[in-house]
Amino acid sequence: MVEKQIILPDIGEGISEGEIIRWLVKEGDQIKQFQPIVEVLTVKVNVEIPSPFTGKIKKILAKEKEVVKVGSPIAIVEVEGVAEEKPKVEEKKPETLVSASQKVTEQVPAKPSAEILATPAVRRLARELGVDLSLVKGTGPGGRITEEDVKRFAEEKKKLEVVKVAIPKEKEERIPVTGIRRMIAEKMSLAHNKAAMVTHMDEADVTELVRIREYLKEEAEKLGIKLTYLPFIIKAAILALKKYPKFNAAIDDEKKELVIKKYYNIGIAVATDQGLIVPVIKDADSKSLFELAKEIEVLSEKARQGKLSIDEVTGSSFSITNIGPIGGTFATPILNYPDVAILGVMKIKKKPWIVKDKIEIRDIMTLVLTFDHRVIDGAEAALFTNEIISILENPYRLLAT
Amino acid sequence: MPEITLAEALNQTLKEQMRKDDRIVVLGEDIGKRGGVFLITEGLIDEFGPERVINTPLSEAAIFGVACGMAIYGLKPIAEVQFFDFAFGGFDQIVSQIAKIRYRSGGQFKAPLIIRGPVAGGIRGGMYHSQSPESYYIHTAGLKVIVPAFPYDAKGLLISAIKADDPIIFMEPKTLYRTIKQEVPEGEYTVPIGEAKVLREGDDVLFISYGAMVHRALQAAEQLYKENISAEVIDLRTLLPLDIQTILKSVRKIGRVIIIHEAPKTLGFGAEIAALIAEKAIDYLKGPILRVTGQDTPFPLVHDQYYLPTLKRIINAAKYLINY
Amino acid sequence: MSYFQILNERGEPNEVLLKTVDLRNEDLYKFYKYMLTARILDSWMLRLQRMGKVALHGPNEGQEAIGAGTGYAARPEDWFFPSYRQISLLITRGVKISDILNRWMANKYDVMKGHEFNLYGFKDFHIVTGTTPIAVHIPSAVGFAHAAKIRKEKIVVLVYFGDGATSKGDFHEAINWAGVFKLPVFFVCENNQYAISQHVSRQTASETLAIKGVAYGVKSMRVDGNDVLAVYKSAKEAIESARNYEPVFVEYLTYRLGAHTTADDPRRYRSDEEVNYWRTKEPLIRLKNFLISQGIMTESEEKSLRQELEATIEEEVKKAVEIPPPPIEVIFEDVYSDMPWHLKEQMETVVKEYKEEQGE
Repeated sequence: MVEKQIILPDIGEGISEGEIIRWLVKEGDQIKQFQPIVEVLTVKVNVEIPSPFTGKIKKILAKEKEVVKVGSPIAIVEVEGVAEEKPKVEEKKPETLVSASQKVTEQVPAKPSAEILATPAVRRLARELGVDLSLVKGTGPGGRITEEDVKRFAEEKKKLEVVKVAIPKEKEERIPVTGIRRMIAEKMSLAHNKAAMVTHMDEADVTELVRIREYLKEEAEKLGIKLTYLPFIIKAAILALKKYPKFNAAIDDEKKELVIKKYYNIGIAVATDQGLIVPVIKDADSKSLFELAKEIEVLSEKARQGKLSIDEVTGSSFSITNIGPIGGTFATPILNYPDVAILGVMKIKKKPWIVKDKIEIRDIMTLVLTFDHRVIDGAEAALFTNEIISILENPYRLLAT
Repeated sequence: MPEITLAEALNQTLKEQMRKDDRIVVLGEDIGKRGGVFLITEGLIDEFGPERVINTPLSEAAIFGVACGMAIYGLKPIAEVQFFDFAFGGFDQIVSQIAKIRYRSGGQFKAPLIIRGPVAGGIRGGMYHSQSPESYYIHTAGLKVIVPAFPYDAKGLLISAIKADDPIIFMEPKTLYRTIKQEVPEGEYTVPIGEAKVLREGDDVLFISYGAMVHRALQAAEQLYKENISAEVIDLRTLLPLDIQTILKSVRKIGRVIIIHEAPKTLGFGAEIAALIAEKAIDYLKGPILRVTGQDTPFPLVHDQYYLPTLKRIINAAKYLINY
Repeated sequence: MSYFQILNERGEPNEVLLKTVDLRNEDLYKFYKYMLTARILDSWMLRLQRMGKVALHGPNEGQEAIGAGTGYAARPEDWFFPSYRQISLLITRGVKISDILNRWMANKYDVMKGHEFNLYGFKDFHIVTGTTPIAVHIPSAVGFAHAAKIRKEKIVVLVYFGDGATSKGDFHEAINWAGVFKLPVFFVCENNQYAISQHVSRQTASETLAIKGVAYGVKSMRVDGNDVLAVYKSAKEAIESARNYEPVFVEYLTYRLGAHTTADDPRRYRSDEEVNYWRTKEPLIRLKNFLISQGIMTESEEKSLRQELEATIEEEVKKAVEIPPPPIEVIFEDVYSDMPWHLKEQMETVVKEYKEEQGE
């Protein structure tokens, strides 16, 4: 069973509406195709409208005395059969007066310029020569721009261009941004676009740390391991991350979720010819100081030789960038997007420091933490950084964990 | 080859074709013994008899309607209207019956006939012997409209019209009947319907015209040449279907267009041509499209030379565009 | 005012005249069948128009005998130029009901490609498409006959028109021409007494319409158009005369029982009494009475014929109603023998627009 509409048909002669005079059937009646069902008064004639369907009158939509427009439904009929897929469009659409019946020439619409006088041919010439008519002075009658005016303008413009073009050839060099450089560039852009990056900066008195490292350095050398400060920093960072798990996380921008990682994969930024690459030490929390040092060495060498695998550069939960060796007082590293935090470490410098109300020369390390302010507040960042600093200033705390 | 006038060319064509094709029947007022008021049908009744050369009662509607019936039957009637000014008496037959029967019948019936007769002014013919009513016919879908300006074209086009399968309105500029002579070959040849002709090439300005005004355009071109302005002249020959390609080719080359016709300016055929050129070649125009035409009045008896496009007006139009 | 009649309103024959009619029983039966078919089809056309399936219809109701009688009297080689109220002529000449319906509904199988309403032309049946402006087709009919005469083909052209047409210039020019050139034309004038709302008494001051033929030197008659036997007999004579180059004009007296067309409301200008009066004189009733009284047909035979026709026609209507309209391209077909560039251009635009909107 299917429901179909009966509409007031177009009975021609420009009739656009009719008044229902009398229904010849009622709801519930069985009707046959072509059976007259309603009497309608139009401006020209009184007519009986036959039904287009055989079926049962389900509902009468237009009441007696109601004025109905041609094409509007007046009744609903229940009919045998399957529903049609697409209703046939029988009525003409209302005409639009703006109906172009001819092909339009390939004319580029000219800029609205009431002031510019130029014939169509001149305008075309200007387009072809790339001349902006609003810059041309017309010498024709009434200030009209002539063909000669345009040609002359184009000539002079060309002379200027020739001069300009000659110079850059010697004073510029173009290097395409490709490969890893390009990827880095895109990543930098992405971080900048997506995250609200803020950098928290602080200094740590690492004099003790320096001493401990000096001592352990020899031990490491015996094992063929180069021990830098980085493994210590990693361990301190991990402790801090365990206390402030929010920093060991990434943002899922699509789902708008903060993904807090339960693993500790620390990315360590390495400078290469190609640019800065961040290989990742997986499960850094389960590795000893020396193991960390070894891995750092291996990864760094691989990075410099461009031999890192995809697995080795992905999956970080937190990153550390060692800006230190080269110099500088402060820095604002860019996040390793989508991670929410990155720790930058500057070169250790001897500085006058207040120790127990006295000035002493101490080893001072500047730390900078860039974080995504969308999910981390300045206060949180300060607390986190303080934690790292506290561990670096009292490295014995590492023994207690 | 002998040089003959336009009237002689038409007469020759009718004789040659009626000998060759017995479907052809000629009918009209005074076309029998009188030979037609312009003697276009002179001698036909003597050669072909009154059955095929029918001198009719005074009934334009009947002439056109009967021609239509004959064409439906399968004959090839060539109906003469004494002056196209009188065709309006049978205009309903042309517009409602002849132009529409092929379309109306879904292609079952057709009326491939010719209605031919004199048009245009300049002979002090007054209001009812001088009109150029081609617009009415061009505007009626189903008709084709031809206006020759030369004897050679007149014969070639009339033969094409006889061979055509559509109703043809064949308008002969009466001032040209006897005033120009041209070499016209005997025997059959055709000039294609729907093909215009570049009569004279030029680079500075383009004259588009038909009928008697073609000759005035040529005159103007001669005069302008003396002043170092080279004008190109197109003779349309067929008005509908229009040879748009020939027109556009010249427009793109030259960019300055002047359309010349005797018919009144408003809704004269020049308006249609101007609109088509603007639609399809506007980037090539170096100035406005000008029309030099008859006035928007009934055709006067006095001062008819001023009513019509004068040489001076045409030349001024050309110079205006050159200096635009 | 006298006129020729064989059967009166009640179907009683003039016995003397009846003998002069050479019709067998099966011919008489066919008359009835054709007229009844036309009558039933007519009422279907009205119904279909009210459903929006037929754009416009001018009912034939009450005038069926003229098309039937004249159509039957003509020979296969003869030609017909109807106006727009000759459905019974189509049936009598053998045009299929389905073709008639397709034409009226202007669908895909319409022989006229949906180009106009309320007109018809069927070349195979020698029926030439009429025109809507009144009397415009008459000169063409005369021209066709003129061509046949030139070619010495012995055909007759039957041209149909109403009382209003006899006021039109084209009629006068055409019949004058036919008289002058002695053409094989049978002018069939259906005087149904109304040109839309203009009664024939206000259409002309001439005493009859028949004398208009006389004025042009054309043999003229006045016949009862609702008596199919009289129609047939007069037509037979007229056709023979015309075939021998004596044109004939016959004024058939009848009455338009229905409205002018589906866009007309005749109640505005004539009374129900008048219509009912003329209904008693209509052609089907009197022929039925005649056939039954002559024992050529029984009441129950009539009834079953009617039922059979109703059923057949309804079947055809149901089929025709489902047929889609013609393709969009028909707008541009048959304007000329070829398609000039400007029509091609216009067609491209319209076809593209149509296809986009129809989601093709």
